[in-house]
Amino acid sequence: MILLESHNTIIQDVLTDRFERPSRADIQFVDYDNVRFHLSTQEAKTVLLLSMSIQCWPDLAKYGAREHLQEVYGSLLLGEGETEPEYQVSIRIDLEALPEGPEDRAELISKLSHLKSTTMSAPFLAAFSEQSSLQANFKDAAGAQQSDLGGQGGEKKGDLKIIKYREEEAIFIQASHDRVTVIFSTVFKEETDRVYGRVFLQEFVDARRLQSLQSAPQVQYSNREPPLEIRHLPGLKNGEDWGYVTFILSPRHFSNPATAQSAINRIQLFRDYLHYHIKCSKAYMHSRMRHRVAEFLKVLNRAKPEVAVAERKTASGRTFRTR
Amino acid sequence: MSRQAPLVIDNGTGYTKMGFAGNSEPSFVFPTVIATHQTAGAGGGGRAPPPVAGKPSHLASKRGIEDLDFYIGDEAVVNSKTYDLHYPIKHGQIENWDHMERFWEQSIFKYLRAEPEDHYVLLTEPPLNPPENRENTAEIMFESFNVQGLYIAVQAVLALAASWTSSKVAERTLTGVVIDSGDGVTHTIPVAEGYVIGSSIKHVPIAGRDITSFVQQLLRDRGDSASIPPEDSMRVAEKIKEDYTYVCQDIVKEFKKYDADPYKYFARFSGEHSVTGRKYDIDVGYERFLAPEIFFNPEIYSSDFLTPLPEVVDTVIQTSPIDVRRGLYKNIVLSGGSTMFKDFGKRLQRDVKNIVDGRIAGSETRSGSLMKSSGVEVNVISHKRQRYAVWYGGSLMASTPEFFNVSHSRVDYEEYGPSLVRRFSVFGSSS
Repeated sequence: MILLESHNTIIQDVLTDRFERPSRADIQFVDYDNVRFHLSTQEAKTVLLLSMSIQCWPDLAKYGAREHLQEVYGSLLLGEGETEPEYQVSIRIDLEALPEGPEDRAELISKLSHLKSTTMSAPFLAAFSEQSSLQANFKDAAGAQQSDLGGQGGEKKGDLKIIKYREEEAIFIQASHDRVTVIFSTVFKEETDRVYGRVFLQEFVDARRLQSLQSAPQVQYSNREPPLEIRHLPGLKNGEDWGYVTFILSPRHFSNPATAQSAINRIQLFRDYLHYHIKCSKAYMHSRMRHRVAEFLKVLNRAKPEVAVAERKTASGRTFRTR
Repeated sequence: MSRQAPLVIDNGTGYTKMGFAGNSEPSFVFPTVIATHQTAGAGGGGRAPPPVAGKPSHLASKRGIEDLDFYIGDEAVVNSKTYDLHYPIKHGQIENWDHMERFWEQSIFKYLRAEPEDHYVLLTEPPLNPPENRENTAEIMFESFNVQGLYIAVQAVLALAASWTSSKVAERTLTGVVIDSGDGVTHTIPVAEGYVIGSSIKHVPIAGRDITSFVQQLLRDRGDSASIPPEDSMRVAEKIKEDYTYVCQDIVKEFKKYDADPYKYFARFSGEHSVTGRKYDIDVGYERFLAPEIFFNPEIYSSDFLTPLPEVVDTVIQTSPIDVRRGLYKNIVLSGGSTMFKDFGKRLQRDVKNIVDGRIAGSETRSGSLMKSSGVEVNVISHKRQRYAVWYGGSLMASTPEFFNVSHSRVDYEEYGPSLVRRFSVFGSSS
């Protein structure tokens, strides 16, 4: 498994099961980045309530997350008043009013299991549309592409969107006329992780030089120093443990809705992807270490000094032979 | 910040049960199996070239992402044609740490979708697990996964905790005998105040798989199996075991009952041939009560092991320290799928009680009827959560606030190292 999946397996499993056989449920579970889910049947066996609490909801709401959810889930989404306490989004699924065909059901399940990624995609979509309007304006105003080189002064930028998706870490998204910049700040709790992280991210930058990966977004990595786009922000940490990863998405990554959605699904899991791979690399190193120890033990066992077999005699001069 | 729910992972020999604390059922139950690619020589695999002296093989040399190319659980079984299957746990203990580390890696990231850095983890271990294994586990959990905290609980103790849900349990003690019967083997484990009495543990080599093959054998002997396709016979026997069997109180009476009115008691099982789709029907007769009977009369099934389960339980308690015996008799707890037979607990309780009463009566007569015993209470507790009792006990314990105090935290690990987990702290008793 190289990429993490963007849907939540528990939602998918439970819903697939419950769509066939409705029964009581009261399950609490989590997803990456401090997301908590609660799936329960409160009124009746056939009415499932799926609630989600997401840490960065205030940020997301600011960038139109609720409207986006409304668009995707329609009448399933409960209004703010009806949302389960302690959670920010609630979805009500009536098992008696399900779509008929198995394909429609599968689609509904997949839509619901993407609840977290759908919520997280709101600011990205906002940035994408901002980019296209900026692009249109830019062409009108300047007419020529040269002003692109004219420096920062002439360039117009969309507002910087900040999503504090974890306690200390944040995603910064900014649109400009020809690209959307996504910056992740990430902190490594451990020395080892930081080293692995740096090597891993360096690999990322190098991999893009390959012919086959030319169309991938450009990636930059900086340790300690925040990148220029966000340097003016107050409260940025620039200690030894901090890393900033910048992705530059060009219009071809989000020009059609399907590509845009898959780009969003991938990019929002970037931090988890990074940490997952750091852990995988550690596991790999550990297995190499175990292998090496086993090899050394073999060598050591071979190196045991041979016991010198001296001829042993009894007092009467007869020899013993060990059989 | 509210603390995230701890992860509860019960890795058994056959199945792994995983989920989040506070739930009543594990979110995932799948076989503890990992499918690695044939060419992957990682982890001391057989294909690694022999090292040449003076020229150490470079780990980085021409290595791709083979170490990420593997499946676990049901997906592993599906892919068994093109991948090699490995069972990292044997007899309850972890044998292959490379595979286990990767198994955990995928179970946490792909299935539970939790960032281990944010969570506490509760793992289980079999009784008499060597401390080295605990240390290895702690090393992996803290150093590979950076978990916030870790608690390794003994399965039997968790099964005891799970029994607190039963209405029969008046006080929450961690003293009792756990009868844990899974697929491969049945253990009888005495626990006194949260500590396993290792010297008295007994194993019974009769468990789920044996019952299935006994059912299969009965069907074959009766000639009923002719209509069952041979490749399905195991599956059908399993289905019959799960759906139709129960424990009777008196085997002779039960036979008479069946003979008197076979139409009332015989059940019919209808199946379908998995390839041709041909329908078939078979009668389910005496095996309905004979199948679980092999626990109580093993001689009808095997010729090597002849001690009935109630007798084993009694021996286990009799070999335990005398001051806990009363507590052990009072709290006999069932756990695992093969104890789910209807009235299993009732029968066991009756048989153990008979043994105990017989002994008491004997010693009363030997004293010349001068001494009178006040009697010993025998209680067998069965409850709704029996099948995943160990996991459920873990979920229960990990959802108490106390859990965070008793588990080994990351800070402690950094201070003391892996030997930290040799220290064993019990909690939850009489709280």
